[in-house]
Amino acid sequence: MSGYYNINDILMEEEPMSVVFQVGANGVGLLDPGSDTNNVDKGAQVDLPFWLAHELYLRQAVSINVPACFNQKTRNEIQADAACVDLRIRCPYFYELGCKTVPLIADKSIGPFLLHSFSSRYKEVLSRSHSTPSTAASKFLPRLTKEETQLFEAAQSSMASYKKWRVGGSRLEKASILGRKRKTTLPIDPPSP
Amino acid sequence: MYGRRASQLLGELASAEKGQLTVFNSDTFDQVIKECNEHNLQLQTLIRKIEDQNLDIQTTRNEDHFGAVIHHLSLARNKRCLMAYMYNRSEIIQSLRWKIGPILPQEIQEKLSYSEEEYFKNHSAAIDSYMSELDLDLTVDMVPPKDPYIQVRVLDDIGEVCLGDMEISLTRHSVHFLRRTDAEQFISQVCNHKQFSLRPASDFA
Repeated sequence: MSGYYNINDILMEEEPMSVVFQVGANGVGLLDPGSDTNNVDKGAQVDLPFWLAHELYLRQAVSINVPACFNQKTRNEIQADAACVDLRIRCPYFYELGCKTVPLIADKSIGPFLLHSFSSRYKEVLSRSHSTPSTAASKFLPRLTKEETQLFEAAQSSMASYKKWRVGGSRLEKASILGRKRKTTLPIDPPSP
Repeated sequence: MYGRRASQLLGELASAEKGQLTVFNSDTFDQVIKECNEHNLQLQTLIRKIEDQNLDIQTTRNEDHFGAVIHHLSLARNKRCLMAYMYNRSEIIQSLRWKIGPILPQEIQEKLSYSEEEYFKNHSAAIDSYMSELDLDLTVDMVPPKDPYIQVRVLDDIGEVCLGDMEISLTRHSVHFLRRTDAEQFISQVCNHKQFSLRPASDFA
């Protein structure tokens, strides 16, 4: 999913991370709303988007705190009933952000936590995608992260294709070339009874 | 926050329906470019400051350095967002040539910026010149036909015709099962001679 031009990848990196500056930086006062000068002081705690936090971490300029969406409260809720937790409100790129965050922070329990939440929600997503009529899906869909929504849609479309294949579908498909020609040449042809 | 506006630009793209164009947001686009210039200025100022203090620009790790780094990263980020915006739009614009043809309807044309219109024209011309070189219209039959045979109903008397190794009589309202390649010539001739008109039976379904 990563790529220089990938929109989802870029939007995912916009997620805010709470970081603590290990050095000072001049001329970037905009980053720290609490700062009176145009500088960020050493030790200041600031929310930065992931792309900036990541690069600064590699330069050892900041240390990264565990993002709020992986806090103990979320973990407890996931533990209780994973499928009912609204992950989108916490972070629409929950899994992607988690995967990219793990190498940056000391807390190594995030990896297993992500796996657990994904695998327990996965089953629910798949079974819902087959059983839920499209009208009732509006209650369930807003709780899913971006990736889960894509899974949900993929499952639905593959089920639709399977059903179409099973009943045989239309064997003789009108070639698009013929349709196109007919449209331009015979628009007023009356259908025969 | 740095880069916020640029990502809003992309958010607009992401929320649009797949394969659909939105109006080119030149306001936000220009604002992001302005932001880039601002970052560039700040970056230059900070670097000059380091040089004025007679410090080695390669090894200095002071506060000015990190300020410059942040401005540099923001510049690169904005650039990535703008490039992605143009790139993803250009992919849709390319697909329009295959779906709609060389002339765009007014409502789509309005959504393009000037450079995108030029891009579409040039892309379209490139495809056209390639197709005329091949002497083949590549834009038809994008999905291969499922069956080499086709059921047709004759709309007007054509008479006896030789198709391959057999002779069949194409009388009015008779239904035949023909090879697609054989039938196609009659169907396409509809535009020239009205009396030759076959029509795929699936149309009646």
